Amino acid sequence: MQEFSRRNFIKVVGAGSAVALTGIGCAPHKTRGADKAHVVVVGGGSGGATAAKYLKKYSPELNVTLVEPNARYYTCYGSNWVLGGIVDMDFIEQTYGALESRHGVKVVQDRVTAVDADGRNVRLASGETLQYDKLVMSPGIDFRYDRTEGISEADAERIPHAWKAGDQTRILRQQLEDMPNGGTFVMVAPPNPFRCPPGPYERVSLIANYFKQEKPRSKIIILDQKDGFSKQGLFEEGWAQEYGDMIEWRPASDGGLVEEVDVRNMTAVTEAGFERVEADVMNFIPAQRANQIVHDAGLTNAEGWCPVRQDTFRSERDDNIYVLGDASVAGAMPKSGHSANTQGKMVAASISHELAGRDPVTPTAVNTCYSLVTPDYGISVAAVYQFEDGQMAGVEGAGGVSPTGASSRFREQEAQYTRGWYAGITADIWG
Amino acid sequence: MKKSRLTFAGLVGAVALAIPFAQATAGDEITRGQLMADTCVNCHSAASAEAGGAPDLSNYPSSLIVSQMKAFRDGERPGTVMDRHATGYTDEEIEALAAYVGQ
Repeated sequence: MQEFSRRNFIKVVGAGSAVALTGIGCAPHKTRGADKAHVVVVGGGSGGATAAKYLKKYSPELNVTLVEPNARYYTCYGSNWVLGGIVDMDFIEQTYGALESRHGVKVVQDRVTAVDADGRNVRLASGETLQYDKLVMSPGIDFRYDRTEGISEADAERIPHAWKAGDQTRILRQQLEDMPNGGTFVMVAPPNPFRCPPGPYERVSLIANYFKQEKPRSKIIILDQKDGFSKQGLFEEGWAQEYGDMIEWRPASDGGLVEEVDVRNMTAVTEAGFERVEADVMNFIPAQRANQIVHDAGLTNAEGWCPVRQDTFRSERDDNIYVLGDASVAGAMPKSGHSANTQGKMVAASISHELAGRDPVTPTAVNTCYSLVTPDYGISVAAVYQFEDGQMAGVEGAGGVSPTGASSRFREQEAQYTRGWYAGITADIWG
Repeated sequence: MKKSRLTFAGLVGAVALAIPFAQATAGDEITRGQLMADTCVNCHSAASAEAGGAPDLSNYPSSLIVSQMKAFRDGERPGTVMDRHATGYTDEEIEALAAYVGQ
């Protein structure tokens, strides 16, 4: 990568910003060295790692520190392929070496314990404090076990959520492997809004694919906490074609709503207590909210998510803090890895321009979510977004889902593009 | 609907600086064309092409990207997903992003 040079710096400020040069107005205060602003990015998932990498690409002169507790990151996208036995955990493992060695991001393996917005610093579990000029928060989600009786996070080894990939993915895969042929897999699917809207239904698809091959007498029941889901027509078409009646979907209003989970007996209680659904393996995906750290930092609204000015993803609560990815309220954009990735670029461009004293970049964003119905049967939803009436909104006439009734060749092509998408987006974020 | 807010100066800049963005000068202005182009690389890169996915467009002539995006958008070329993406962009936007994606 290109080294920062004095000549380039002068060129930058000469072109755009007398303000930054003379140190008046809203010029950033310098925390590290005479000329370098410091941006701290919290969270090394799709949003945070993208923001960190693109900040250095757009403004190589910035100091960028990425704080992430784990040395290895397992992408949630692709974790359903692990559960279906198509790929191993290694396939969805990402690391931070390239961000440091190729892109000049300083990666700190630590956990943020507190944000001091007035003092413009974050405290880490190690005791260190990092001063920032701009703070980018991409902390992801936490679970709301308080919505359902009988189950808590402490039960996640017996009844995994597997909605943050890693050990939870391994646990659920092991349970599926141990389940006898003829067993029942029950998924409790979450209410809106939640991370990866098509994710529960791709998961069920690929578990069905595994059962079809290895345990064909088995049954799958989805107890849904809502009455509809992403790409529903496409999934249902694929399920009928590929899996017959193996998968049963119960909407919230027709037997799906779960009042209580009897963890010891691996049973979901529905229909106001009148129906008990017994499972051999249960996957309880709880209701969700933004991660605790942004609650503690005072960046959330009453619904538990972070309101932002959606043209920049700058927090509505603090001018020097940006929140992106699943934790943010992002208009029409879904809580997806691809959304977080494209938002990371918007944030990087916004901060880059602001610190250089330039006008904001007109926002633009896209999303493409692929799902596999079988390893050779892919479906997608796509959208292009623009900023309109204060929100990121889908461009009229663009986007939408794959056609129903498409040929098997079309589905195969989309499955191939699914694999290409994974390779491409992970290289874009962590490569 | 008219969507582009690309300024004349921005458009000229995008075309004149049609170089891969990794080679851009430190802290250069980021145009809307560049930001749009940076959303293409999720699916269109050496990594995606190697995995058998969408083609790497970095060596494609910009003019070819323009003509194919318009063909996807206008229904003249069938696609799996590109038709759904291409309908999100005006002529100006396609030209601005193609200047960055290709060469």
